[in-house]
Amino acid sequence: MSAIDSSRVTERAASPRPTWRSWAIWLGALALVTALMHATRAALGEAHVALVFLLVVLGGSAGAGRRVGIALALLAFLAFNWYFLPPYGALVVANPLDWLVLFTFLVTGIVAAELLDRQRRATRIAEQRADEIARLAKVRDEAEALRRADALKDALLAAVSHDLRTPLTTIKGIAHEIVGGANAERAEIIETEADRLSLLVDDLLEMSQLDAGALPIEIAINTADDLIGAALQRTQGILRGRPVEIDLPEDELLAGRFDFSHALRVLANLMENAAKYSPDSSPIVLGAAVSDGTLSFVVEDSGPGIPEEERDRVFEPFRRGSQVPRGVRGAGLGLSIARRLAEVQGGSLRYEPRGGGGSRFVFSVPAAEARPPE
Amino acid sequence: MAVSEQPLANAVLVIDDEPQIRRVVRNALQPMVSRVLEAATAREGMDLAAAEQPALVVLDLGLPDLGGMEVCRDLRGFTAAPIIVLSARHGEREKAALLDAGADDYMTKPFGTLELQARVRAQLRRYAAATPASSRVVAGDVEIDLTRRVVTRAGAEVHLTPTEWGLLRAFVSHPGQVLTHNQLFRKVWGGSAGDAQQYLRVYVGQLRRKLESDPIRPRLIRTEPGVGYRFEPGD
Repeated sequence: MSAIDSSRVTERAASPRPTWRSWAIWLGALALVTALMHATRAALGEAHVALVFLLVVLGGSAGAGRRVGIALALLAFLAFNWYFLPPYGALVVANPLDWLVLFTFLVTGIVAAELLDRQRRATRIAEQRADEIARLAKVRDEAEALRRADALKDALLAAVSHDLRTPLTTIKGIAHEIVGGANAERAEIIETEADRLSLLVDDLLEMSQLDAGALPIEIAINTADDLIGAALQRTQGILRGRPVEIDLPEDELLAGRFDFSHALRVLANLMENAAKYSPDSSPIVLGAAVSDGTLSFVVEDSGPGIPEEERDRVFEPFRRGSQVPRGVRGAGLGLSIARRLAEVQGGSLRYEPRGGGGSRFVFSVPAAEARPPE
Repeated sequence: MAVSEQPLANAVLVIDDEPQIRRVVRNALQPMVSRVLEAATAREGMDLAAAEQPALVVLDLGLPDLGGMEVCRDLRGFTAAPIIVLSARHGEREKAALLDAGADDYMTKPFGTLELQARVRAQLRRYAAATPASSRVVAGDVEIDLTRRVVTRAGAEVHLTPTEWGLLRAFVSHPGQVLTHNQLFRKVWGGSAGDAQQYLRVYVGQLRRKLESDPIRPRLIRTEPGVGYRFEPGD
């Protein structure tokens, strides 16, 4: 939330430009009182004249602003001299003491105009600040309400995830106990479905943590060997013996700066995606290379690829492509989570069509020196 | 799987406030041990652990009366028995912190019965072996002799740098045990923080490339993602 911008407020509070109408009114008023006083000049003392002129100057300052006020003061000064200080009809002053009267009048008029104007400006600034504060308070209230709703959603998701995992453990445990009995097949389905539910809970929790910016990140120097090995291990169950070609330089250890757990999730999601969308026996290529200070992990499959018009959208949550084969299940969170996990650790994830058909996902992170000091 | 073999331990202790989880753990472990003790609170669990000296503790993190980290530390004050932590939260950082606090293994709910049995069996075996780790290890075609500072692979001597030696020594001295990154830092570099520390994982990568026949699918030095490494000399 931004603080009140005082320069902007001050600028807006400056005296408004007087309109020609207010000029006309106040110059007219000055002319009128001058005429009236001129008609009764014999009965008026200098003090009366000065006070009446001062009234007009103050009125002009208050009503039409500083410019009008000062103009009135100057004109009244001239009129005072011309009509009301002897010798009349000339800008000359016979009695030197009258100069004192005249200048006191001028200074009083101008200072009064200035003071009035300053006061008016201060009032206007105060009003604008009050408005601004009210507006910010409203924005803050709205932001606070949003934040609370968001926090509530996260707390709810976390609690739901937590409270779901405990009964899921019981369900799996009991299913396992009856696997040996007459309903072995059904018990196995219960276990598998419990696992699926658990993965969905993980995805939703991760999404909400990403949304809340609450995902802990621990960047360290890690090796490509280690990450690829861990990804192979994690996806063992999903790959079910499907061939994986590893494309890594044999004589060189590659290293990068990334969060191992999140990077593992990215790579595992990409491999799972590749396994889902390509024929069962076709190999998946998993590789890494360093160029221009970037360590890039590549996952390639021989599936149908992604049509050009869908390429931007595959990373959106709950989005599943039109090429999804029958029987493939999932919430459509895998790629969306992968891209966001890549980005929160300073990396990127992009799609490229693979030459010769299929998809190619490139996950890049900053490279690191792989020959440490001994 | 019929398990009618000799019980692996006399008693194990389950500390969990959820009766259903205690039931699942009890049913999973009963075939393997003589007695499964149960406690619903940390206090009760600590009293039972002190009185019965169980060979292993299965500890839930979400106990109503005390945090998991504290329970781990308190248990470590009087027993060396393996502690396997159960948690509904999943996070490698939390896992590493628990291992640093004295836990031996960690499982995220929902876990499977077979997985639990395997972890318990591994911890009980490791604890029962309890003999100091051997200074000479043969694993596949790799032979490690810590006293003579010699490593051979398929009969040929492998040259290791001093840091790689430090790492290997730490691994060999704790077979089958997860060593967190922090624990490895302390064992290899002592208390001193330096530039070399941040390359821990690179040193492990180098060591693997020298010892493992397939460094992408390592058999000796396994990765525990986000937590650390585990040395598996094999049976």
